Amino acid sequence: MEFTLLAAAALAVIALSLMLRMAPALGVTAAFSRRLTDPAYTAIGFGILVGRLASMIGNGTNPLSHVGDILIIRGGVSTGFASVAAIGAWLYSTRRNLRVAGDAVGVGALVGLAGWHGGCLLRDACAGASTHLPWAISLPGSTVGRHPVELYTAALFIMAALLLRRLPAGSGSAAGWALAAAAAARLVTEPLRLSLGSGPLVWYAAGLVLGLTVAAVAPRYSHRSLEAG
Amino acid sequence: MRNKALLHPLLVALLLAAAACASPTPNFDRGPELDVITPDALALTIADAAMPAVVNIWASWCIPCRSEAPLLGLAHEKFDGQVTFIGVAVADSQDGARDFIAEFGIEYANYFDRVRSIPASFGRIGVPITFFFDSDGSMIYAHSGVIDERTLAINIDELLAR
Repeated sequence: MEFTLLAAAALAVIALSLMLRMAPALGVTAAFSRRLTDPAYTAIGFGILVGRLASMIGNGTNPLSHVGDILIIRGGVSTGFASVAAIGAWLYSTRRNLRVAGDAVGVGALVGLAGWHGGCLLRDACAGASTHLPWAISLPGSTVGRHPVELYTAALFIMAALLLRRLPAGSGSAAGWALAAAAAARLVTEPLRLSLGSGPLVWYAAGLVLGLTVAAVAPRYSHRSLEAG
Repeated sequence: MRNKALLHPLLVALLLAAAACASPTPNFDRGPELDVITPDALALTIADAAMPAVVNIWASWCIPCRSEAPLLGLAHEKFDGQVTFIGVAVADSQDGARDFIAEFGIEYANYFDRVRSIPASFGRIGVPITFFFDSDGSMIYAHSGVIDERTLAINIDELLAR
């Protein structure tokens, strides 16, 4: 069992939960904030399910004839499909208050992602490409210095959350900026990550474009009033 | 209400599409039987390669092994000539192992170790396990469980940096 992975995930969930509690400071009522909890956890569960199915299909395993394998998360989860599915489930669950819901969790999601990336310290998984910078870290038993790329990413997410927390909730603009910031943080740090291919750069670029588009376009439409408690 | 009525058929259609996309019972062209390997023979094979080596312990019945097989294939393609890749099927049948190799199109050398002597010689149990050896044949890292792209890439980078 990947307990360290679970610990990192728990950190991210705790961070997101704390931010949901703080949502009233953004102008979102506490009652509405509480109503976001179920959609958030539904989105997480649905995302993991779709990601697992996508991974199984990609590996040539029939989910219908290997139903039990779906539960073996350690067999792999396609993060791209999981993310898209989670976002889709979230959008569907909050479709009647989409802009307010997006703004309420946008900043919290950045903090949650920062928690996830910061959790690399628990998993000893912070290192990236080699470097001679004074703050370089090394793998155990190695003399090769490496960028602590996951900590860079966590710091960028925190900076983005601090910058965006003052944006008013309700127009959907904050959600767009949060998506753009998350995509930009990953896009900027991706060259410092080691991979076997080109990495999910296309996904990040698409997220950046989508986020900026939402941030620019959303405020032009009439504002919906913040959900009454 | 109409959206909810559409949701169930849509989910069923998605599942059926998923089943159609995935291979049912593959009928692969099995290659020759795998040679049996011992810990001493593995050490000689790595030494003969005269380059860093990645040794993956797997089994055809191991679900995480199915997940990481394409990744190891990708790594083999990228680092062919710089790093030797070796697979060892443990606690398996010859037919099952050969089917697995054919299914995933594994092109690097694979051997057979029914009694799990290879992982035991390193004090390891279970599957999958991925061992990383430098060019001197010294084991520098062992990863138990399914290996992700980052871990595989960074440890290969470590091998090449030595």
